[in-house]
Amino acid sequence: MKANYLKPAIVAVFALFAALLPYITGNIYYLHVATIIGVYWVLIATLNLLVGFTGQLSVGHVGLLAIGAYAFCLLAGSQGWNPFLALLTGGVICAVIGLLLGLPSLRLPGFYFAMATLAFGLIVAELALAEQWLTNGSVGMAAPSFPAPFDTPWGFYWLVLGIAAFVTWLTWNLSRFMWGRAMVALRDSTVAASSVAIPIYLTKLVVFVFSGFTAGIAGGLYATSQSYITPDAFIVNLGIYFFVAIIIGGRGVIIGPFIGAAVLAAIPELVGPLAKYGTFFYGVILLIVVLVIPGGFGELIDRVAEKLHRREQAATRIEPDLAQLRTAIGRRA
Amino acid sequence: MLLVIISGLALGGLYGMTALVYNVMYSTSKVLSFGTGQFAMVGGICAAWVVLDLHWPVWIGLIACLLAGAVFGWLSELIAVRRIVAASDEHLWVLSTLALATMVQEAMSLVWGTDPTPFPRVFPQEFAGVLDQKFWLPLLLSIAMAIGLQVFYRHSMTGKLFIAMSEDTFAARARGVSTDWMRAQSYILAGVLGALSGFAAGQLTFADFALGTALGLSGFIALAVGGIGSSVGALVGGAILGTLTALTTYYFGAQYQKTIAIGLLILLLVVRPQGLFGTTQVRQV
Repeated sequence: MKANYLKPAIVAVFALFAALLPYITGNIYYLHVATIIGVYWVLIATLNLLVGFTGQLSVGHVGLLAIGAYAFCLLAGSQGWNPFLALLTGGVICAVIGLLLGLPSLRLPGFYFAMATLAFGLIVAELALAEQWLTNGSVGMAAPSFPAPFDTPWGFYWLVLGIAAFVTWLTWNLSRFMWGRAMVALRDSTVAASSVAIPIYLTKLVVFVFSGFTAGIAGGLYATSQSYITPDAFIVNLGIYFFVAIIIGGRGVIIGPFIGAAVLAAIPELVGPLAKYGTFFYGVILLIVVLVIPGGFGELIDRVAEKLHRREQAATRIEPDLAQLRTAIGRRA
Repeated sequence: MLLVIISGLALGGLYGMTALVYNVMYSTSKVLSFGTGQFAMVGGICAAWVVLDLHWPVWIGLIACLLAGAVFGWLSELIAVRRIVAASDEHLWVLSTLALATMVQEAMSLVWGTDPTPFPRVFPQEFAGVLDQKFWLPLLLSIAMAIGLQVFYRHSMTGKLFIAMSEDTFAARARGVSTDWMRAQSYILAGVLGALSGFAAGQLTFADFALGTALGLSGFIALAVGGIGSSVGALVGGAILGTLTALTTYYFGAQYQKTIAIGLLILLLVVRPQGLFGTTQVRQV
């Protein structure tokens, strides 16, 4: 089977390329774009578990990103904590808030849940602007950077890369085995899933809390990568970007949303004039994908791959292993 | 204090109208559109542009605003709903209407800018405190709209067909109803009513491109509080939410508006999921 070698080979080549990127491109700005994509990916990877695998359309993860960013800035900045400890604590805070948000809202059906999370995103943006004693209001806060090996753009890039790779590995593991199957099952038919004893609510909740945790981590990294945060950075449009990246990438695959996230983040950054039309452009892409290929590009790739492999499959014939069959029957008799 | 309550009720009228617009679209397609709030936004900006920038009379502004709403409603059915409803996937309409709403909002902000512009006076009237037109206009219109919709549903053929479709689309289709065209009509009606609500409440909200998302959320809360499908519920839900918002702003400050609103929504959904005036529907398995 060729495909068995193909996928690990692609992953290995990509990993090598990603690790050596600072040497390949001398341009600091490209490196910054790559870092941002990595930061977003830390959030999108687990949001994909929630949106793509479990089918819970959360629009409000940008709120969790904001909370993670502010928690990191407060703890590592004015409180003087170790940045790594602050990063983890930000993640834990977001996990707890995710739990509190998920407890009531995950009971709601599709559109209600989307609205509840949208409201959460708006509330966080509103409070970040209003609670000046905590967040400095619209003035914003400076974000501390990480200690010695990670304080250069290169070092920080590698740190983000490491965390992103680790999160990808976690989600990949989670999605392949029992949890992943349970998520897909309850997305496709809640009734059928609960009839085979999948704990619907618990599964949703665990996925939501997990995605909240990495959203918090991503928030801390985001703050450092921007080096200064204001409430303007965390508008709902950013949440729509996360969402679109997953949908165009495809439901229920990991590589699709990654490509989606990378392409969507890179285009407005690298093609300057498009930056203004960024969100409009996301809306157009989302609409086209939903109407034309509801499964996203991931499904499209799968379908093309299937077409290419079809001839081989048609040629395979299953012959009964008569000798083994005879012994099996003989043993029973 | 009276002013606070009146302004809350006026806002509630706007929310109630948005909830009614949700209902009109929901009746024929079972779709809760993310673009519902955008109708009011498009209508408001369109009217403000015609009256203030082109210096045309208010009634032409009203016609332009209604036309824009009708076109937008029809387009949203054509682009974002028709194919999705035919494919009958549960979640896809959330995405397609979100996409359309995002596109429209961004397009409006690119063309008309992101600053809220003032809205023209509809009637020549000095500011009259509690009795000002910016308060009674949305309030009265919301009541008129609810009554009008009831009359429309009960006594016109089109309205009866909407009801028939909300009961059972397949049965309606089997009886020779052109369900696609009826759905398109309901979206055009929704667009017109939404634009009208934006026109009526324009002096309260200003012509602001960001109005759509916030209004979509508030209108949805009013709808969920009142119960989907109920016109009375929409008005009552809107009034409760509007008054609560105004009182919150008065006592605690504007930054807690959404927190309180969403708190109300979640509390109510936990206690009474079908809303105050909604009927429980047995879900088929």
